[in-house]
Amino acid sequence: MRAKYLKPAILATLYIGSSHWSGLALAQNTDASNLYKRSLAATCANCHGTDGKGVIDGGMPLINTLTSEQMLTQLKAFKSGAREGTIMPQLAKGYSDEQLETIANQLGKK
Amino acid sequence: MDRRHFIGQSAAALGLLAGFSGQARANLQKAEILVIGGGYGGATAAKYLRLFSNNTAKVTLIEPNASFISCPLSNLVVGGSRTLAELTSPYDNLSKRHGINIIQDSVASIDADKKTVKLASGKTLRYDKAIVSPGITLMMNSIEGLAQANKAGVTLQAWKAGPETVALHKQLASMRDGGTFALSIPEAPYRCPPGPYERACQVANYLKKNKPKSKVLILDANQDVTSKGALFKKVWAEQYSGIIEYLPKHNVTAVDAKNKTIKLEVQDDIKADVLNLLPAMSAGEIAVKTGLANSNGRWVNVNFINFESTAQKDIHVLGDSIQVAPLMPKSGHMANSHAKVAAAAIVAELSGWEINPAPVLTNTCYSFVNEREVVHVASVHQYNAAEKTFKTVPGSGGLSPGPTTLEGVYAWGWAHNIWADSLG
Repeated sequence: MRAKYLKPAILATLYIGSSHWSGLALAQNTDASNLYKRSLAATCANCHGTDGKGVIDGGMPLINTLTSEQMLTQLKAFKSGAREGTIMPQLAKGYSDEQLETIANQLGKK
Repeated sequence: MDRRHFIGQSAAALGLLAGFSGQARANLQKAEILVIGGGYGGATAAKYLRLFSNNTAKVTLIEPNASFISCPLSNLVVGGSRTLAELTSPYDNLSKRHGINIIQDSVASIDADKKTVKLASGKTLRYDKAIVSPGITLMMNSIEGLAQANKAGVTLQAWKAGPETVALHKQLASMRDGGTFALSIPEAPYRCPPGPYERACQVANYLKKNKPKSKVLILDANQDVTSKGALFKKVWAEQYSGIIEYLPKHNVTAVDAKNKTIKLEVQDDIKADVLNLLPAMSAGEIAVKTGLANSNGRWVNVNFINFESTAQKDIHVLGDSIQVAPLMPKSGHMANSHAKVAAAAIVAELSGWEINPAPVLTNTCYSFVNEREVVHVASVHQYNAAEKTFKTVPGSGGLSPGPTTLEGVYAWGWAHNIWADSLG
């Protein structure tokens, strides 16, 4: 779904409707929901750059070349152990599938 | 409910919420937010308060230093393979790119009742929210004679990266071949658990090449290596055999600067040529002075959902100063993680939104065992609402199987990215 083409009110509804942050969904508006998503994705920024924009030639693999779908596939492969690595298999196991999906949606190439 | 009906209702609800949050938004824009300390915690908090508020929050950062010098990687400067300049970043991107008001000064006192901060220069600032991220205090009095020895330049800590880091390398470089570099470690908790062991590697790496008859003596007050133990011990055996001597349960109680002699709680005195003695540590001075250090008078208890001090409302404390949750290290990466949770919580609170009930922290810590090979420890900490603390996720996190040059590349990648994330 290309959410960016939808009107803001519908977008907000979709955010609320699909929020994994159940129980609180009713009390949230779009901005609050966005803040939640941004702060979750910000846990990746220490190594992969603010908003997923990593330092070019900094030595760390860049993630902002991946679409959200590709990113989620990789994150899930790290989590399941299908993809080997150094730190990422260990970190991916610390997130729920829903959290990984939120992160991928947030940081994937738009 | 059909789709159109559902959307209509939600849109109506949204309108109500928008009206409410419009007023709360004004609180966010009006609030004076002061961030005290521009390290990994404070700089990140200042930047993310601006990002998460879509550049509407008023943020002032108070930091005495003209530029940021990273403690992570500074052991490479002690070992002589890197320079301090490579670990230094400017603060001005925070003002130029993010609109943060930066005041180069230190904080003399905080009046939590009046909600004011007095600067060393004499000026008083008002705050609605204060973020206190002052790092650590080295408790020089925990080792008898250390304060005087340090003043005389005989002992150095170099546990806050800066001129002492360079001075310690100079002491190492001018040490006689056949000399002893003594490094003492206080009981945990202290800043950067694997840091002393990494330092031992860097010093040993230098000695192996330049003064092969010399040795590094690690005097550890703890029962055993506190972080990455098996990895460090393997490296010491394989790469620094005969150079590094590790003595656990050796608690340094006093130092005689004149005779360069270290006194221990139980064992006989030890003489050394270079004395790098790390005393016990506590929360940064301003946190202690303000009465925030309500955990044994040393560390600051916080509510982990928003990092607000349990001693004072509207003062949020980050980084090495806090009383940590289980398995939470005092590290730069962790301070950066704390900062984002606190920034999001403050933006939510001032906007009239419920604070995220499920924040997440990560930690990644790389240690260089020589100039190029690195080992890591990593963890993920999810907030546990029932226990009101962060807990590591079972099955997640872990260590490197062994040192590699690939992780050496990643360690620098981590550094460049976290510096940009905190200050860029």
